[in-house]
Order: sequence, then structure tokens, then C-alpha cells
Amino acid sequence: MMDIIFNMLMIFLVITAFFMVFTKDISTAVIALPIYGAILVVIFVILQAPGPAIAEAVIAAGLTTVFFVITINKTEY
Amino acid sequence: MSRMNAMFKKLYKLVLVVSLAIFLFIVFDEIHNLDNNSKRYLSEHYISEGVQETGAINIVTSVLYDYRAFDTLGEATVLLTAAAILSFLVPLGKDKMLGTTFTMIVSQTTKFFIPFLAVLGAYLILFGHLAPGGGFVGGVVMAVIPILLTITYRVEFSEYKFKPAKKKLAEDIGAIGFILLGLVGVVTGSNFLANGQANFGPGNTGELISAGLIPFLNLMIGIKVGAGLAIIFNSLIKEK
Amino acid sequence: MELAYVVVIILLSLGMYTIITKKNLIKIVMGFTILESSLILLLILVSYKPGGAAPILDKPYEIVVDPIPQALALTAIVIGASVTAVMLAVVIKIYKRYGTLNVDELRKLRG
Repeated sequence: MMDIIFNMLMIFLVITAFFMVFTKDISTAVIALPIYGAILVVIFVILQAPGPAIAEAVIAAGLTTVFFVITINKTEY
Repeated sequence: MSRMNAMFKKLYKLVLVVSLAIFLFIVFDEIHNLDNNSKRYLSEHYISEGVQETGAINIVTSVLYDYRAFDTLGEATVLLTAAAILSFLVPLGKDKMLGTTFTMIVSQTTKFFIPFLAVLGAYLILFGHLAPGGGFVGGVVMAVIPILLTITYRVEFSEYKFKPAKKKLAEDIGAIGFILLGLVGVVTGSNFLANGQANFGPGNTGELISAGLIPFLNLMIGIKVGAGLAIIFNSLIKEK
Repeated sequence: MELAYVVVIILLSLGMYTIITKKNLIKIVMGFTILESSLILLLILVSYKPGGAAPILDKPYEIVVDPIPQALALTAIVIGASVTAVMLAVVIKIYKRYGTLNVDELRKLRG
């Protein structure tokens, strides 16, 4: 059961990454970034790594997205 | 002709990336150290002796702050360098707000939310040697508070609550405190940043005040990371 | 666990592809983020042992996963965030100086 969930999460991760790279609209790609981070957090928890999971949840899903949004706001895209 | 050239260029880049992927695949297939049953003597030692030697339950924290504390010092230096580069790139000019005004619901919810964030950050910092978390993550949670204030209200309000001079002072206190706590090991006749070898007494493992210097090092790193990331964000948003 | 290593290779190649082909500077920074996260995923995968417990030893466990790659991954995540912030500040500076984010036009402007 856990193997099936893990493999499905891996496939979702690849799909989200391809979506992030190949969309035309830049703000759609930026909003897909926290989804990518959240899937990565669940994978880390399954792989028994709670410390990197918390760090990834706080930094990748929170802080980096804010930085990207500020950049888009400043460059008026 | 130029269209053909562009197509050739695109194909060339694609072939480059695919060949990189095939090379990595061959390398991963050849390396047998990646499989999970191989013996790793250093980590075996950390797992079997780490709790007695350092007193911290969380082995990741004891690796970060005791066995390999120099790595953490280098990481703190990288953060300091990033904040310094941003200060050089973005000179202090006029503030520019985001130009969006929110309704009352957003501002009241933010005001309601901030104490919980502060408690979460303090818990993550102080219980870093007992539970997943630690100085880095707690510092980032602390740095989210001025970011929320800046986005919801404006830069002036955030800088009125958290003065820039005080943020710089907090970052300096974190950096210097880490070095001074490292020098305590030298004073007591051991190495720089020594904790387990210097016999500070691991205490009762599992309690809040235990594991020698590790909680204090966690506190210093938390202060430093929080102030540094808040300074980085303020520099980014003040760009005209 | 074989699929996981294939996913790591795919993500690393995708990040490389984004960096060398995309025209928008923000997309290029996003490619750096994907590349870095794939390496963190590789570190966590190396540390995993089947049936192992997380490295928080409140009581003695039989099998415990490897703590050293997890500490390295924690370091890499925090450094990656600050490096991303520096890259985005440089992107904002380039936009203020040249008025565009397209890499080809930047190349033309430089002459």
C-alpha cells in the first residue's frame, strides 16, 4: 500500500515539475511552486526524514514563493 | 535558413540534456554504495554512541551542532554574505508599498495569527534537540512575522514594529554569540566548538536543559537566521 | 525504490533543460530551484533504509536511517533559499537597468 502511494507521489512530482517548466504564464508557474514543495514534503515524511520535511515545508512552500511573487510584482509581468 | 539554424540549436540542446541523463543513469547503475544494505561506519557510530556522547535525542541536531559544527558556522557565514550582498545591491532609498489594499478581514486575521506563529517559532527553536526542527527552521518561522506585516499593511508599519537597526543588532548578536560559545570549548581545554568532548555534562537526556551547549547554539542560530532573512526580504521589497 | 532514482535523474535533466533553453530569467531561476530540490531528494533517498525509524532516539530502535545525509540536506535547503533571494535581486536589478527579462534581447543590447 505504501509503495503504491509513494510511486503515485513520485509521478505527481514529475507532472508538477513539467507543468511548472512548460506553462506559458509565469505567475501560473510560480503558483505551482508550493504544490511541488508540498508533494516533496510528503515524500520526505514517508522516507523517515522529519527534519528536512519541516525545513522544506517552511522554506520552499513559504519563503521562496514570497520572493518569486515580489520579483514578479517588481518587474510588472 | 535562420529558422533551420534555430531548430538545429534547439535539437542540439535537447541532445545535450538527454546525453547527460543517460550518463547519470549509467553512473547510478554502476555505483553500488547507493543500495541500502551497505555498512557505513561513521553513521553507525553516531547512532550507537551519539545519545551518550552529546545528550541530544535528535541525532540530526547532534550532527549539525556537535560533530560537524564547523559546517553550521560556514552556513551562517553564507547567510551573512547573502544579506550583505543584498544590502550592497539595493541602496537604502524611498520605500515602495505593494499598491494593494486589503479588506478588514485580512488585516484582522493577520493580527490574530501572529502570536501563534511566534509560539511555533519559539517551540521549534527551544526544542531543537528533542524534536524535529532546530534553529534554522525556527528562525525562518520567526522571519515570517515581519513578512506578513509587510505584505498585509505596508513597509512603514513593519519597520515601525521591527526597527532595521534592531534587526541588524540581532543578527550581530547571533553571529558573535555563536563564536563566543565556540570559544568556551577552547577555554575549558578542548577544541573549538567542542561540546561532547569538553564534558559539559549531557544532563538527563530528554529534558529541556540538557545536551550541554546545544540549546544555546540553537538559540543563537535561530536569532541570526530570523534577523538575516527579515533583512533580506526588506531589501528585496525596498527596491524602487 | 528504482523508480525514485529515475525520478531524480528526470528532475535533474529537466532543471538543466530549463536553465539552458528558456528565455525568461524568472523561469531560469525556477530551473535552479528544481535542480536543487532533485539533489536534496537524492540525499534523502540515499539515507533511507527499509523498515528504519526516524533518527530521534527516545528509545533504542533496531534499524535507524542514516542521519548524516539528512543533516547535509537541511544545510542545503537553507543555503538554497538565500541563494535564490540573491539571484532574484540580481534579476530585479537587470530589469531596472535594461527594461526586459528576455535573454536574447539582453544579449543584443550588450552588442
